[in-house]
Amino acid sequence: MKGIQVKQPGGPEAMELADLPIPQPKPNEAVVKLAAAGVNFIDVYFREGRYKAPLPVVLGQEGAGEVTAVGAEVTDVEIGDRVAWAGAFGSYAQYSSVPANRLVKVPEGVSDQQAAAAMLQGMTAHYLAYSTYALKSGETALIHAAAGGVGLLLTQIAHNIGARVIATVSTDEKAKLARAAGADEIILYTQSDFETETKRLTGNKGVDVVYDSVGKTTFEKGLNVLRPRGMMVLFGGSSGAVPPYDLIGLAHKGSLYVTRPTLMNYTASREELVAHSSAVFGMITSGKLKLRIDYTYPLAEAQRAHRELEGRKTTGKLLLIP
Amino acid sequence: MKAIRVERAGGPEVMQLADLPVPEPKANEAVVKVAAAGVNSIDAQFRQGVFKTPVPFVPGQEGAGVVTAVGPGVKCVKVGDRVAWSGTLGSYAEYVVGLAESKVPVPAAVSDQDAAAAMLQGLTAHYLCHDAYKLKPGDTALVHAAAGGVGLLVVQMAKALGARVIGTVSSDEKARFAREAGADEVIVFTQTDFEAETKRLTGGKGVDVVYDGVGKATFEKGLNALRPRGMLVLFGASSGPVPPVDPATLSEKGSLYMARTTLAHFTATREELLARSGDVFAMIASGVLKPKIAKAYPLAEAAQAHRDLEARKLTGKLLLIP
Repeated sequence: MKGIQVKQPGGPEAMELADLPIPQPKPNEAVVKLAAAGVNFIDVYFREGRYKAPLPVVLGQEGAGEVTAVGAEVTDVEIGDRVAWAGAFGSYAQYSSVPANRLVKVPEGVSDQQAAAAMLQGMTAHYLAYSTYALKSGETALIHAAAGGVGLLLTQIAHNIGARVIATVSTDEKAKLARAAGADEIILYTQSDFETETKRLTGNKGVDVVYDSVGKTTFEKGLNVLRPRGMMVLFGGSSGAVPPYDLIGLAHKGSLYVTRPTLMNYTASREELVAHSSAVFGMITSGKLKLRIDYTYPLAEAQRAHRELEGRKTTGKLLLIP
Repeated sequence: MKAIRVERAGGPEVMQLADLPVPEPKANEAVVKVAAAGVNSIDAQFRQGVFKTPVPFVPGQEGAGVVTAVGPGVKCVKVGDRVAWSGTLGSYAEYVVGLAESKVPVPAAVSDQDAAAAMLQGLTAHYLCHDAYKLKPGDTALVHAAAGGVGLLVVQMAKALGARVIGTVSSDEKARFAREAGADEVIVFTQTDFEAETKRLTGGKGVDVVYDGVGKATFEKGLNALRPRGMLVLFGASSGPVPPVDPATLSEKGSLYMARTTLAHFTATREELLARSGDVFAMIASGVLKPKIAKAYPLAEAAQAHRDLEARKLTGKLLLIP
């Protein structure tokens, strides 16, 4: 089979199309013939060596396809099931062997490409809005990078819950996307100060929650726009890591809460994994959640996919089609 | 009237008994004849000049007594009402004047001494257990300094809410007080590592919430004792301020939450202040909450009360009786 392999960390050119044996399942694994693999920033980090993996490694953490073989102990899926997953290596390939308890069945009405696109970003948006800070109708959320991969999904989910969404974006084009996703207010942070503008838009009361995947450039100002006892949900650092923070600031700014969640802790049990993924698939089927899959690449063009992802010119999801 | 006056910042000896005129109320103010004044470490910090206020001044923030005069515009209390308060400087005196809105009614079943003792520490314990992290039956809480002023009350409230309480204390004697207050497990942290012991007591799972008024000495290990997605509520720093925290620590240790809270944000409106104090007084009246009064001193012995407070030998609340 074909697979994208990294032998030495480096730039996009470190990814080579290789001929590899079709993997055999361990007792707790299932082999999946991939229909689509999601391209994510975490793949770039592993490629660069910023995150460490034993080398050589087949990249890719997310995909969807059909089960072609199962190990002896597998009970969660059967051969022929259409499945999707996130959080296991090796999806940039024609076949991947995945721990079966991380696989979820994909319902009819959700395509392979949609399933592959929804596993990381869709489940992330879902746990952020329903578990990390359970948004309620009538609350106000500030969502940074609202036209980004998670941002567009989180904006739709927050809007569907009945929350008021204030969205920050960098360009007019992204503003349009965020508005179409249901954002009530858009702040072009390149043109106006989001702290001042958010305070104005909330009559100086502040927002109930800030969802922040940007990090370094937005964290402190985000705290300043929270209402007393509001919550900062930091779930990424696309502008760099937030430096160590003196907690007395949280007291002075209004007895604030901070959390730094990861998808893994919100899908640790099979029950939670299935609950979040089923909810997301249900929203896709009913049309409440619209995924943007604007970029698909043949497996052999993984390098181009990474270049375009890192160039930040894309909006919506990038997929590799093996 | 008699009052304790500080003419310059310094040790306990700078607190001198003085003869001062009985204060007169201005608009929106009430004068109260003080029946009991609470002694708090914040009073010592004002006395030392750590917190600044113009000298000379009468220390003391907290007390209970009877309203003797009201200024124009006062509607929330009237002459003859039994009231309690916190946050009014000048309480170490026979009479104190302050904003009428800060006075809450004291029911007949609650003594002046219990009311004075409950305003800062009782309301703090209440917001910690009911709002900062809302304890549910079956939750497990780790309470640091469980024999301290706030700690003893948190233990009692947490038990009343059906939580399992693990308390940390510094001595065997304090362990006995924490147990009497209802703690299920007590760790003498001077003899046993509380992180390892908390993990053992929870079967490796960790606790749902840590209530930490100690700070520097306990914060990091407290994070380690939390279950995934658990919350650390930092509400004080008796061992010194916590050094700045890298938010990535929270994701590495399991998508944790942290908050740094102060009472003011949990009694920000008159409505909330009345609801919270009403709840605390009802708990005292019904016997669910028993403030532990270590010692009541005559007003003239304020300096000795501060010496005893700073020596940390007594367990429970110190009061001055004018």
